[in-house]
Amino acid sequence: MKVRIRRYDGQKEWWQDYEVDVKSSDTVLDVLNKIREKQDHTLAFRLSCQMGSCGSCGMVINGLPALACQTRISELKTDSIRIEPLYNYKVIKDLVVDLNEFVNKHRSVKPWIIRKNPEELEEAPIEFKVTPEQNLTFVQFDYCIMCGICLAACPTVAIDPLFLGPQALGQAYRYIADPRDEGFEERIDILDDSHGVWRCHFAGACSYVCPKGVDPAKAIQFLKKEILKYRLLHKKKAATKPAELVEKAPPPNAPKPPPFDFKFEGGV
Amino acid sequence: MGEDKKEKRYKTGLLRSLWPYNFNAERYSYTLHRITGVILALYLIAHVFEIYHFALGPVAWEQTIALLGSLGIWEKIGLWIIAGSALYHGANGLRLILNEVFGMLLGKPVLPEYPYTPTSLSRNQKIAIYVILAIVIALWIWAGLYLLEGLGII
Repeated sequence: MKVRIRRYDGQKEWWQDYEVDVKSSDTVLDVLNKIREKQDHTLAFRLSCQMGSCGSCGMVINGLPALACQTRISELKTDSIRIEPLYNYKVIKDLVVDLNEFVNKHRSVKPWIIRKNPEELEEAPIEFKVTPEQNLTFVQFDYCIMCGICLAACPTVAIDPLFLGPQALGQAYRYIADPRDEGFEERIDILDDSHGVWRCHFAGACSYVCPKGVDPAKAIQFLKKEILKYRLLHKKKAATKPAELVEKAPPPNAPKPPPFDFKFEGGV
Repeated sequence: MGEDKKEKRYKTGLLRSLWPYNFNAERYSYTLHRITGVILALYLIAHVFEIYHFALGPVAWEQTIALLGSLGIWEKIGLWIIAGSALYHGANGLRLILNEVFGMLLGKPVLPEYPYTPTSLSRNQKIAIYVILAIVIALWIWAGLYLLEGLGII
């Protein structure tokens, strides 16, 4: 099979063609590994888990952003493959893109649980009670693996590089919808900004390419609704009832294990 | 991406944002919405300029009308494109208001299960898009016939 890859060495960019023997069960990542092992060891791409969990191998395959490890050759139904780095990103080398801006955008929306009384997160005797129904309101958006594919598909990121993007906005909603979170007012000025939530015009491309079914487009529309409710009606987020604070269950009356002895007894 | 252009991003910019090939129906709809929006914005500027001549007196107004009349069929074609743009932009705008302000047609948050079909792009959304397209095309054809009738062609 003919494989066409967009190369970049820091100086110039070019298309390079390879001829690779493939099996129908091979993924695009397998093909790239074959090229690097047998034909061209200078080819650069990211990989880690190779099972769609880490989000390292995001790239554009035949014009569509996807994870290389989850894209089977047989599913492409083409005689040749065209592989490019993710759109809208700065390229470091070949298929490796610079994810610094992406991670900074994610960090800027404060993707953690915020409590008005921070001691509640640290105090040991208290824990939060989240019912399965409450969990369902945000768990879909919690599946994000930060592969960055959604930003490569987003048409707004293409014209406004400062736009927070579907990943960060989706994660902002994930925490806002969390019944344990009280940080809506802390996040709203970041989200209700000229590069924030209103730059999304619901093209839905982010949800279309998301390899984990996170549906960031849906989260962004829900976020708009919550912001409008807050700004126009002065209503705070009421997606779910706040989580109850409950006393932590006492530990079971199990016998204490003996202290660990660091001394090595016996010998080799 | 040369040495002097290190900050350049790969395949980005206005044309890339308007290129929906390979993607979902919503992204095609997004492209059409943007293009029709630009057409309407340009029309609005031209229309304000046209009406401004009305304030300058009857002579200036008659001259403007005569100028537009001299365009012949091109004026009607322009009006037909503007009518189509207004119909699509308005109808699709209503869909977007339902989505963005009221959170409708998006489905509820669900537990993702393979093959991960996003509910925000599901059946309801597609039905809305195709119904809008059908209504707009029907009304656009009717507008075209109306304009041709005005020309005395039919």
